[in-house]
Amino acid sequence: MELTTSLAASGYLSARDAAKADPHSPKSNLTKMGEEFLTALNSGEEVAKSTMLGQSDPHSLVQALSATELAVETAVTLRDKVVEAYQEILRMPV
Amino acid sequence: MSDLLQSLSISGSGMKAQSHRIRLTSENIANADTPGYRRKTSDFHSMAGGTVENGPVRLDRAELEQIHNPDHPLADERGNYLGSNVEMIVEIADAREAQRSYEANLKLFDQARQMTMGLLELLKR
Repeated sequence: MELTTSLAASGYLSARDAAKADPHSPKSNLTKMGEEFLTALNSGEEVAKSTMLGQSDPHSLVQALSATELAVETAVTLRDKVVEAYQEILRMPV
Repeated sequence: MSDLLQSLSISGSGMKAQSHRIRLTSENIANADTPGYRRKTSDFHSMAGGTVENGPVRLDRAELEQIHNPDHPLADERGNYLGSNVEMIVEIADAREAQRSYEANLKLFDQARQMTMGLLELLKR
Protein backbone atom coordinates (compact mmCIF):
# COMPACT_ATOMS: atom_id res chain seq x y z
CA MET A 1 0.00 0.00 0.00
CA GLU A 2 1.44 3.31 -0.99
CA LEU A 3 1.38 5.99 1.67
CA THR A 4 0.43 9.04 -0.32
CA THR A 5 -0.64 12.48 0.86
CA SER A 6 -4.17 11.77 -0.40
CA LEU A 7 -4.43 8.80 1.98
CA ALA A 8 -3.28 11.00 4.87
CA ALA A 9 -5.74 13.72 3.90
CA SER A 10 -8.68 11.31 3.74
CA GLY A 11 -7.62 9.89 7.13
CA TYR A 12 -7.68 13.37 8.68
CA LEU A 13 -11.09 14.10 7.19
CA SER A 14 -12.66 10.93 8.58
CA ALA A 15 -11.17 11.61 12.03
CA ARG A 16 -12.56 15.14 11.93
CA ASP A 17 -16.06 13.90 11.08
CA ALA A 18 -15.96 11.40 13.93
CA ALA A 19 -15.17 14.15 16.47
CA LYS A 20 -17.97 16.48 15.37
CA ALA A 21 -20.69 17.39 17.93
CA ASP A 22 -24.08 15.87 17.25
CA PRO A 23 -26.76 18.60 17.47
CA HIS A 24 -29.57 16.08 17.95
CA SER A 25 -28.16 14.19 20.91
CA PRO A 26 -29.90 14.79 24.27
CA LYS A 27 -28.33 17.45 26.50
CA SER A 28 -26.21 16.05 29.25
CA ASN A 29 -25.73 17.64 32.63
CA LEU A 30 -22.35 18.98 31.58
CA THR A 31 -23.88 20.83 28.64
CA LYS A 32 -26.49 22.39 30.88
CA MET A 33 -23.83 23.51 33.35
CA GLY A 34 -21.84 25.03 30.52
CA GLU A 35 -24.90 26.94 29.34
CA GLU A 36 -25.63 28.21 32.86
CA PHE A 37 -22.04 29.38 33.11
CA LEU A 38 -22.34 31.26 29.81
CA THR A 39 -25.62 32.84 30.95
CA ALA A 40 -23.98 34.06 34.16
CA LEU A 41 -21.08 35.57 32.22
CA ASN A 42 -23.34 37.29 29.69
CA SER A 43 -25.69 38.74 32.30
CA GLY A 44 -22.70 40.07 34.26
CA GLU A 45 -21.43 41.76 31.11
CA GLU A 46 -24.85 43.28 30.37
CA VAL A 47 -25.15 44.74 33.89
CA ALA A 48 -21.62 46.15 33.63
CA LYS A 49 -22.47 47.84 30.32
CA SER A 50 -25.71 49.36 31.64
CA THR A 51 -23.92 50.61 34.78
CA MET A 52 -21.32 52.34 32.61
CA LEU A 53 -24.16 54.05 30.75
CA GLY A 54 -25.66 55.14 34.07
CA GLN A 55 -28.84 53.07 33.72
CA SER A 56 -28.11 50.61 36.51
CA ASP A 57 -27.08 51.09 40.12
CA PRO A 58 -23.78 49.91 41.61
CA HIS A 59 -25.47 47.32 43.83
CA SER A 60 -26.69 45.29 40.85
CA LEU A 61 -23.22 45.57 39.35
CA VAL A 62 -21.49 44.18 42.43
CA GLN A 63 -24.08 41.43 42.70
CA ALA A 64 -23.76 40.36 39.08
CA LEU A 65 -19.96 40.48 39.16
CA SER A 66 -19.85 38.40 42.35
CA ALA A 67 -22.09 35.81 40.74
CA THR A 68 -19.85 35.79 37.67
CA GLU A 69 -16.74 35.41 39.82
CA LEU A 70 -18.31 32.44 41.63
CA ALA A 71 -19.36 30.83 38.35
CA VAL A 72 -15.84 31.19 36.95
CA GLU A 73 -14.30 29.73 40.12
CA THR A 74 -16.66 26.75 39.95
CA ALA A 75 -15.95 26.13 36.29
CA VAL A 76 -12.19 26.36 36.77
CA THR A 77 -12.24 24.00 39.75
CA LEU A 78 -14.36 21.48 37.86
CA ARG A 79 -12.07 21.65 34.86
CA ASP A 80 -9.03 21.08 37.05
CA LYS A 81 -10.64 18.04 38.63
CA VAL A 82 -11.61 16.55 35.29
CA VAL A 83 -8.14 17.12 33.81
CA GLU A 84 -6.50 15.65 36.90
CA ALA A 85 -8.68 12.52 36.67
CA TYR A 86 -7.82 12.17 32.98
CA GLN A 87 -4.12 12.46 33.72
CA GLU A 88 -4.39 9.84 36.46
CA ILE A 89 -5.91 7.46 33.95
CA LEU A 90 -3.13 8.22 31.45
CA ARG A 91 -0.53 7.42 34.05
CA MET A 92 -1.89 3.91 34.57
CA PRO A 93 0.71 1.34 33.58
CA VAL A 94 -0.31 -0.57 30.46
CA MET B 1 -25.27 26.68 46.40
CA SER B 2 -28.41 28.43 45.18
CA ASP B 3 -29.29 29.40 48.79
CA LEU B 4 -26.02 31.27 49.08
CA LEU B 5 -26.48 32.92 45.70
CA GLN B 6 -30.02 33.97 46.67
CA SER B 7 -28.62 35.44 49.88
CA LEU B 8 -26.34 37.58 47.70
CA SER B 9 -29.28 39.03 45.78
CA ILE B 10 -31.32 39.53 48.96
CA SER B 11 -28.51 41.46 50.66
CA GLY B 12 -28.12 43.47 47.47
CA SER B 13 -31.78 44.44 47.53
CA GLY B 14 -31.44 45.45 51.19
CA MET B 15 -28.54 47.73 50.31
CA LYS B 16 -30.52 49.29 47.48
CA ALA B 17 -33.49 49.94 49.79
CA GLN B 18 -31.30 51.55 52.47
CA SER B 19 -29.52 53.75 49.92
CA HIS B 20 -32.94 54.98 48.72
CA ARG B 21 -33.78 55.79 52.35
CA ILE B 22 -30.54 57.78 52.73
CA ARG B 23 -31.39 59.67 49.56
CA LEU B 24 -34.76 60.75 50.96
CA THR B 25 -33.07 61.80 54.21
CA SER B 26 -30.53 63.93 52.34
CA GLU B 27 -33.35 65.54 50.34
CA ASN B 28 -35.13 66.40 53.57
CA ILE B 29 -32.00 67.88 55.14
CA ALA B 30 -31.17 69.89 52.03
CA ASN B 31 -34.71 71.33 51.90
CA ALA B 32 -35.02 71.98 55.62
CA ASP B 33 -35.25 75.73 55.05
CA THR B 34 -37.44 75.68 51.96
CA PRO B 35 -40.80 77.33 52.69
CA GLY B 36 -43.70 74.94 52.34
CA TYR B 37 -41.53 71.80 52.12
CA ARG B 38 -43.08 68.64 53.55
CA ARG B 39 -40.81 65.86 54.79
CA LYS B 40 -40.61 62.78 52.53
CA THR B 41 -40.83 59.29 54.00
CA SER B 42 -40.97 55.81 52.55
CA ASP B 43 -41.48 52.40 54.08
CA PHE B 44 -40.30 48.91 53.11
CA HIS B 45 -42.20 45.99 51.59
CA SER B 46 -41.12 42.38 51.52
CA MET B 47 -41.29 40.84 48.06
CA ALA B 48 -41.58 37.25 46.88
CA GLY B 49 -38.24 35.50 47.23
CA GLY B 50 -37.33 37.41 50.38
CA THR B 51 -36.05 40.61 48.79
CA VAL B 52 -37.08 44.03 50.11
CA GLU B 53 -38.36 47.00 48.16
CA ASN B 54 -39.23 50.60 48.96
CA GLY B 55 -42.87 51.51 49.05
CA PRO B 56 -44.16 54.73 47.48
CA VAL B 57 -42.66 58.01 48.70
CA ARG B 58 -45.12 59.74 51.02
CA LEU B 59 -45.23 63.23 52.47
CA ASP B 60 -45.28 63.69 56.22
CA ARG B 61 -48.53 65.41 57.14
CA ALA B 62 -47.28 67.08 60.32
CA GLU B 63 -47.92 70.79 60.79
CA LEU B 64 -45.66 73.17 58.92
CA GLU B 65 -43.71 75.53 61.12
CA GLN B 66 -44.80 79.19 61.34
CA ILE B 67 -41.71 81.39 61.11
CA HIS B 68 -41.92 85.01 62.15
CA ASN B 69 -39.85 87.20 59.84
CA PRO B 70 -41.52 90.38 58.53
CA ASP B 71 -38.70 91.00 56.05
CA HIS B 72 -39.25 87.73 54.20
CA PRO B 73 -40.82 88.13 50.70
CA LEU B 74 -43.46 85.50 51.52
CA ALA B 75 -44.49 86.98 54.89
CA ASP B 76 -48.19 87.71 55.34
CA GLU B 77 -49.63 90.80 57.12
CA ARG B 78 -48.62 89.48 60.56
CA GLY B 79 -45.03 88.79 59.42
CA ASN B 80 -45.33 84.97 59.45
CA TYR B 81 -44.65 82.52 56.70
CA LEU B 82 -44.81 78.74 56.51
CA GLY B 83 -41.49 76.95 56.77
CA SER B 84 -40.91 73.22 56.43
CA ASN B 85 -41.72 70.41 58.84
CA VAL B 86 -38.22 68.89 58.79
CA GLU B 87 -36.57 68.32 62.18
CA MET B 88 -32.81 67.94 62.00
CA ILE B 89 -32.55 65.54 64.93
CA VAL B 90 -35.04 63.13 63.39
CA GLU B 91 -33.34 63.24 60.02
CA ILE B 92 -29.85 62.69 61.42
CA ALA B 93 -31.07 59.76 63.54
CA ASP B 94 -32.76 58.28 60.49
CA ALA B 95 -29.59 58.65 58.45
CA ARG B 96 -27.56 56.91 61.13
CA GLU B 97 -30.06 54.04 61.27
CA ALA B 98 -29.94 53.69 57.50
CA GLN B 99 -26.15 53.59 57.60
CA ARG B 100 -26.12 50.83 60.22
CA SER B 101 -28.62 48.75 58.23
CA TYR B 102 -26.60 49.27 55.08
CA GLU B 103 -23.40 48.12 56.79
CA ALA B 104 -25.17 45.05 58.18
CA ASN B 105 -26.37 44.11 54.69
CA LEU B 106 -22.90 44.69 53.29
CA LYS B 107 -21.34 42.41 55.90
CA LEU B 108 -23.86 39.69 55.15
CA PHE B 109 -23.17 39.99 51.42
CA ASP B 110 -19.46 39.58 52.03
CA GLN B 111 -20.07 36.66 54.37
CA ALA B 112 -22.20 34.76 51.86
CA ARG B 113 -19.53 35.32 49.23
CA GLN B 114 -16.77 34.11 51.54
CA MET B 115 -18.73 31.01 52.45
CA THR B 116 -19.12 30.06 48.81
CA MET B 117 -15.45 30.67 48.05
CA GLY B 118 -14.46 28.63 51.10
CA LEU B 119 -16.59 25.76 49.85
CA LEU B 120 -14.89 25.86 46.46
CA GLU B 121 -11.47 25.97 48.12
CA LEU B 122 -12.06 22.44 49.34
CA LEU B 123 -11.96 21.17 45.80
CA LYS B 124 -8.74 22.93 44.99
CA ARG B 125 -6.66 21.13 47.51
